[in-house]
Amino acid sequence: MRSLNGVLCLLFSLSLMLDQISIRASDASGDEERTASDFQENIFFPSLSLSMSEEQEITKYCLDLMHEYGRTYSSLASCLVSSARPVKVCQNCYGRNNSFQEVFANISTGMGPGNMSCEEVLFRSDRLMLLINLYNYLEDVWTVSECLNCLSKDRGSVSNTTLYFLDLHNQSLSCFEKYKQGNYSKLCVDCRPSYKVLNDFYSKMSNNNSLCIDIEDAMNMTRHLWSTTYKCSLQREENVPVIAVSSFMLFLPLIFYLSNYLHSEQKKRKLMHPRRVKSSHSLKNSQEKYS
Amino acid sequence: MANNIAKKASGGSMFHIGRMSTVDLGEETINTEEQDLVKLRPSEIPHNEKLLSLKYESLDYDNSENQLFLEEERRMSPMMSGNQSLVHLWPHRPPDRTHCLLHRRRGGVPGWKKYEAVKHYIDKFTEDGGLSVSLLLWAILNSAFVMVGAILVAFFEPIAAGSGIPQIKCYLNGVKIPRVVRLKTLLVKVCGVICSVAGGLAVGKEGPMIHSGAVVAAGVSQGRSTSLKKDFKIFEYFRRDTEKRDFVSAGAAAGVSAAFGAPVGGVLFSLEEGASFWNQMLTWRIFFASMISTFTLNFFMTIYKGKPGEFSNPGLINFGRFDSENVEYNLYEIPLFIVMGAIGGLLGALFNVLNYWLTIFRIRYLHRRCLQVMEAMLVAAVSAAVSFAMIYFSSDCQPFKKDSQEEYPLQLFCADGEYNAMATAFFNTPEKSVTSLFHSPPGTYNPPTLALFTLAYFLLAFWTYGLTVSAGVFIPSLLIGAAWGRLFGILLSLLFPSKNTIWADPGKYALMGAAAQLGGIVRMTLSLTVILVEATGNVTYGLPIMLVLMTAKIVGDYFIEGLYDVHIRLQSVPFLHSEAPATSHWLTAREVMSSPVTSFNKIEKVGTIVDVLSATSTNHNGFPVVVNSGTDNESGRLCGLILRSQLIVLLKHKVFVERMRSQQNRRRLQLKDFRDAYPRFPPIQSIHVSQDERECLMDLQEFMNPTPYTVPEETSLPRVFKLFRALGLRHLMVVDDVNRVIGLVTRKDLARYHMGKHGLEEMDLAHA
Repeated sequence: MRSLNGVLCLLFSLSLMLDQISIRASDASGDEERTASDFQENIFFPSLSLSMSEEQEITKYCLDLMHEYGRTYSSLASCLVSSARPVKVCQNCYGRNNSFQEVFANISTGMGPGNMSCEEVLFRSDRLMLLINLYNYLEDVWTVSECLNCLSKDRGSVSNTTLYFLDLHNQSLSCFEKYKQGNYSKLCVDCRPSYKVLNDFYSKMSNNNSLCIDIEDAMNMTRHLWSTTYKCSLQREENVPVIAVSSFMLFLPLIFYLSNYLHSEQKKRKLMHPRRVKSSHSLKNSQEKYS
Repeated sequence: MANNIAKKASGGSMFHIGRMSTVDLGEETINTEEQDLVKLRPSEIPHNEKLLSLKYESLDYDNSENQLFLEEERRMSPMMSGNQSLVHLWPHRPPDRTHCLLHRRRGGVPGWKKYEAVKHYIDKFTEDGGLSVSLLLWAILNSAFVMVGAILVAFFEPIAAGSGIPQIKCYLNGVKIPRVVRLKTLLVKVCGVICSVAGGLAVGKEGPMIHSGAVVAAGVSQGRSTSLKKDFKIFEYFRRDTEKRDFVSAGAAAGVSAAFGAPVGGVLFSLEEGASFWNQMLTWRIFFASMISTFTLNFFMTIYKGKPGEFSNPGLINFGRFDSENVEYNLYEIPLFIVMGAIGGLLGALFNVLNYWLTIFRIRYLHRRCLQVMEAMLVAAVSAAVSFAMIYFSSDCQPFKKDSQEEYPLQLFCADGEYNAMATAFFNTPEKSVTSLFHSPPGTYNPPTLALFTLAYFLLAFWTYGLTVSAGVFIPSLLIGAAWGRLFGILLSLLFPSKNTIWADPGKYALMGAAAQLGGIVRMTLSLTVILVEATGNVTYGLPIMLVLMTAKIVGDYFIEGLYDVHIRLQSVPFLHSEAPATSHWLTAREVMSSPVTSFNKIEKVGTIVDVLSATSTNHNGFPVVVNSGTDNESGRLCGLILRSQLIVLLKHKVFVERMRSQQNRRRLQLKDFRDAYPRFPPIQSIHVSQDERECLMDLQEFMNPTPYTVPEETSLPRVFKLFRALGLRHLMVVDDVNRVIGLVTRKDLARYHMGKHGLEEMDLAHA
């Protein structure tokens, strides 16, 4: 359900980017219809009805907000798509995300003229609830990517840790680039220091919970190169000692049990013979046993 | 003068005339005797399973309705009835508090401390070389933990060894297992389990949990601790075997419900494994206890997890809930489940047979304590070595997932960003591994990994059970079963690929495999079904689990009985099964009973009583009280039954006829005096009786049970058996047509008959 939703949203945002003008036009017409229905509703609830002019003024204000929403949305969406592979969404799009969030906050909490919020009008007036759903989807993407971990506290820039990591990452990559042509074994030896520094730093970040999708993806790709493409992972080199120690340990209980079997005194039980009435019926085997 | 009349065997036949066909109670007079072991022809044989040990005695479940009891009842009747049930309900809470504390220590500290340390070293050595050093380190750490546990058990309280379920089962069957519900046992058990779980043995902590629940319940119900010499002066009315036994069954149920978060399963466990005596009130009390137990545990877990008031941890082990959409099953899967049940039954039988031989070897050859400790340490070391070797040579690498459940992923020789799947199974507490097998998404484990793991863990588990450490068999069985069950599921989906997600979800088959394996080993059906349903929070699987368990039991019973029964038999416990052995109707009470019987007169000389009680050859517990008909050679007519414990209390308080006459104002003995001595009546040697006092007389009339149960000598064995089971008897007098005691049937006389390979067989009695 969610993924379908997401696909729809992406499609929609793409179409938004392609021709914004037409969307605006259609939006506007839709808006008029909606206000009309609003008006009709208000006939039945006279206490809530507003004067015509006031209603239109608010609608105008909200309409502006909605256009702003569309603009920031499409810019964010296009940024996300273009940074999808290799993943750089956090580094590239945090600014646009910030402005999109700002617009959303304006709609949901901001007060227009006449102290009326556009939230009700824009977000919850129809079954589709398109704007809020679009927002939710992008918000999900943002949450899953955990970009906040890579940004500075005020979300205004990429954090220093991230920058440092990217620097290390580039060093490793350039090292790979340098030795790529020749024998990979030389690459494994020469690039190990820089790779190890990178790997350790990554582990440290992972422990501090300061990973975001950009970093994870970069690291994954590097690890893949290192382990699979260049085959630099560790090899089993200690088979002999491990086998020796293990089999020695397996051998110990054998000796233990054997020696006990041979030397330990077997535990005997003293039998008691209860006195019973002797009878012709009594069990044959019991008689045999006692005789 | 004791009527120690040795009734000749041949004399028995004269009583055939006019035999009584009904059980007659309460008729006065007649001579009686008691099971006597005079003809000592001690011969020695190696220990085997066809023995009954003399060290086990019965519980006195039957109430002695003597005059003291009647007087007390008259005094108490208005307030008793209400009070008792109220009091009966609330003491069950403390057990669970303890459980919670235990868990915190068990699950928490040792687990992560050790795994963290070992993981650190393995990570380090993988790179720098010297992995064999970390192997040694692991083995030594394990052995050290296990050594502490084994020393505790072997040298301080051997009864705390094993899971404790067989012992509790015996206790509920009516056998008094010495020291099984003592405080010391509880302490050793708890510490022992912590050590053995921390020592990485293939063990679980659920069996011990049930045992400790029972101990706590038994202890709390008494309102005092004899070990700590502290008497809280409460619950004095529970100081009887009858009440204590009810409490123990409630405690066992509370233990199960705390361990698995399965209150109903706990009640059914008590019903299936334990209590021979069952009534609505007891059921309700046990149910109440179980529910409170789960609640209390839940409550303390919420505090432990820092969210007080949010109840989400009903049990200590959490198998996770099977409630996603792909947990349903299809009709055509039912035959597959039954096949799995059969496999489980076969593997379980194999497990039991192997463990049976091993246990016999242990009893015969490894009876010295230091040897037992050494064996436990060796097992711990080998467990570590085997796990390590398998992890080392496994090349099953899985990529990390964001929501993976591995707490200590080991990379070893996997590519960076991947972890060793074999290590997940081994390098973890068994409970975690089970959960991982149940719930990890398909593709987490490779078939070869699972097969190897099953094999290794099976061997380790059967080797471990029966060591001198406190450890249960529930979790290891579940783990073995979950591993091969998952393998089964994976193979199915490989053989018959299908797009249907319900089909061959490996987690589902892991659950069924776990049920099958556990059912094949312990052979419980009813309670285990409910426990598993409750522990996984899924009612949909009720029917498949039941079918699996039934099949496992049927298949397994064809080869050998359940593991607990095997161990009960090997400990030579006189255990009464629910039915008398088949084809035993031709045996009559005459042939079953012990004869002749040691009996007392209604007014008996103190010296005689002391002599009989202190004779080493007669460790009898019940003595018929008879009225002599005159002639010396005839046994008297039965008029009552008096217990050894009562006689000892009487001797201690010097209730002699002469004294009563001389001191008129002396306080009369009350039932309270008997209760205060319970449950550790002093041995007869500790009671000093002077030469003068030996000549005094004792009037037993007031203290004996005037209406003991009797049967005529022609009663068949199954009929006697039913009386024993249904009434919880300890002594059953066999009388002739004029109510003269000709023999006495005790538990050991009945338990010695069993169905062997060649029909009905008889077991020998042996000293411990």
